[in-house]
Amino acid sequence: MTPLCLMEDVRKTFRMGDDAVEVLKGIDLEIVPGEFAAIMGTSGSGKSTLMNLIGCLDVPTSGRYLLAGREVLGLQDDDLSVLRNAHIGFVFQSFYLLPYATVLENVLLPTLYREKTVAHTEERAVELLRLIGLEARMRFRPNRLSGGEQQRVAICRALMNDPELLLADEPTGQLDSKTAAEIMNLLAKMNERGKTVIVVTHDPAIAACAKRIIRIKDGVIVDEQAA
Amino acid sequence: MKRIFLNLKIALGSLGNFKLRTALATLGVVFGTFSLVVVGNLSDSLALKTEQEIANLGNNLIIVVSGQVRRHGPSTPLISRATNLTPGDAEAIANNLPAAARAAPSGFKAFPVRRGNTVLKAIAVNGVTPDFGEVRNFEIAAGTPITEEDNRLQRKVALIGSATAEKLFGEENPIGKTILIWRVPCQIIGVMAEKGADIAGNDQDNQIFVPLKTFLRNFVNQENVNIIYVQAVSVEAIEPLRKEIEALLRVRHGIRKEMKDDFTVLDLKEVTALKSQAMGLISVLGRIAAAASFLIGALGILSIMILIVNERRVEIGIRRAVGSRKRDIILQFLLESSFISVSGGIIGMAAGFLMSLAIAKVLGYPATVSVPGLLLAFAASALSGIVAGIYPSFKATQIHPVDIIRS
Repeated sequence: MTPLCLMEDVRKTFRMGDDAVEVLKGIDLEIVPGEFAAIMGTSGSGKSTLMNLIGCLDVPTSGRYLLAGREVLGLQDDDLSVLRNAHIGFVFQSFYLLPYATVLENVLLPTLYREKTVAHTEERAVELLRLIGLEARMRFRPNRLSGGEQQRVAICRALMNDPELLLADEPTGQLDSKTAAEIMNLLAKMNERGKTVIVVTHDPAIAACAKRIIRIKDGVIVDEQAA
Repeated sequence: MKRIFLNLKIALGSLGNFKLRTALATLGVVFGTFSLVVVGNLSDSLALKTEQEIANLGNNLIIVVSGQVRRHGPSTPLISRATNLTPGDAEAIANNLPAAARAAPSGFKAFPVRRGNTVLKAIAVNGVTPDFGEVRNFEIAAGTPITEEDNRLQRKVALIGSATAEKLFGEENPIGKTILIWRVPCQIIGVMAEKGADIAGNDQDNQIFVPLKTFLRNFVNQENVNIIYVQAVSVEAIEPLRKEIEALLRVRHGIRKEMKDDFTVLDLKEVTALKSQAMGLISVLGRIAAAASFLIGALGILSIMILIVNERRVEIGIRRAVGSRKRDIILQFLLESSFISVSGGIIGMAAGFLMSLAIAKVLGYPATVSVPGLLLAFAASALSGIVAGIYPSFKATQIHPVDIIRS
């Protein structure tokens, strides 16, 4: 199977004044379609940087990164935006819903930047909200929803443009364990429906939900195991 | 379209946090559009008013005044007298110059007027020929005009202005009655239609008209007239006709080359020019004030936009993460800043509109709406918003999703 994400000797160096800090020191990684993977590591391990690279929020300093068969290195900022819009759905620790927009408008946000207009976008958004049981509150502002509900809305937003990859950064970091389990179940369900899911976490319990665990330490992958 | 609507809604939600600041920021744009609209409407009003005044005085009118006058806007003080402008000059103008349709010589002087116990101390009495009404746009409301025969036979008949009629007769019908003008009893043959104030502000409804020959013989006992009103055949003919009249009168008055005219030829454009100049100056000052206001308004909007962009760093980061390009962000914030300024502009335009109507009413000018003025005001407000939005929207594109997510 052609990999969805293919990294070969990916390195990332940040400049801190005169010093150059190499955060990622040669990552080789292959994610195939339909995988449910967790990237684990302590803070400072480089896992956030790796997530940013996978998510095309940033580009590697060197190496190769193919996303859905496209070389990411050397792409312009606007090309990265288009790539993210079409292929990646983000779920963040702090949900990051827009406070002045309704639940439905938040879910529709990625469609505002879609290259081609697609029919029935609103119906699809409502359908997604029905799936997570928040259809009745689609006209609410996000601040009237609980944390778990907000994160479910954020997942709907991530799914809105039907991307191949769901990239979740500590998706349960601000939730209690029961709600966290619900969110992980939802992600697992999406994985069963064919989405490739990558969860970035430091929490072993969360990582355990994934089918594959990639451990990263000091900028290199130290251990890989199938759960 | 949906996207613009949603973005505006989000922007408004965000602006809701800075209501007072936003209101203050737009104040400059409000004043800017206000003064542009006021100046635009009023200068149009004045132009229309001047046009009406000129038409009111007479179509294609040229005025020949005896002696030298200093032209000073609507008022024309005499600086030298002469006593040789005659009805014969008027005839010569009408007969010899094809560009002159008519020439109406006229003398005037103020006299006391009496009817029974009612005495009016000083009413302007004009000696006129039958052509006068046509040349000066005077119409008769009731009765008959002064005829050639009235003039030739020096009949003691009079046409009286509507205000004079009111003062002397009240509700009574004055036609056929006799009044004493100075010491000459005159029979009233007609009442003039209302005409209002002339260009210099004199009430044209409070005066009396008698046949010119009657006036010269019975009232002033002289041969010369004060003024000749000449109607040119067309607007284009006015300027050449002025020169022809000057040449003709110099010959008739025997004025040698090096000597000055003993008459003055006025054209109404000159009389109204000063007024237009004053309004032109006001317009320029208004536009300068408007430009300053727009500058201040743009700075205000600039500061509120910087505030908004800072407040919405997360939103911008998320938008970038889900796929908005830099140009989408720029467009969004330019739209927001121009929306703010145009909102202020619309308020200013409405206020300016009302203000110009009020001023026109107070000054007695016709109320006009200057469409170019409104368009200019609208364009200026939109432009100041866009200019104000450039820097903040550029700053917004510097916000990277990675910086937001890292927290």
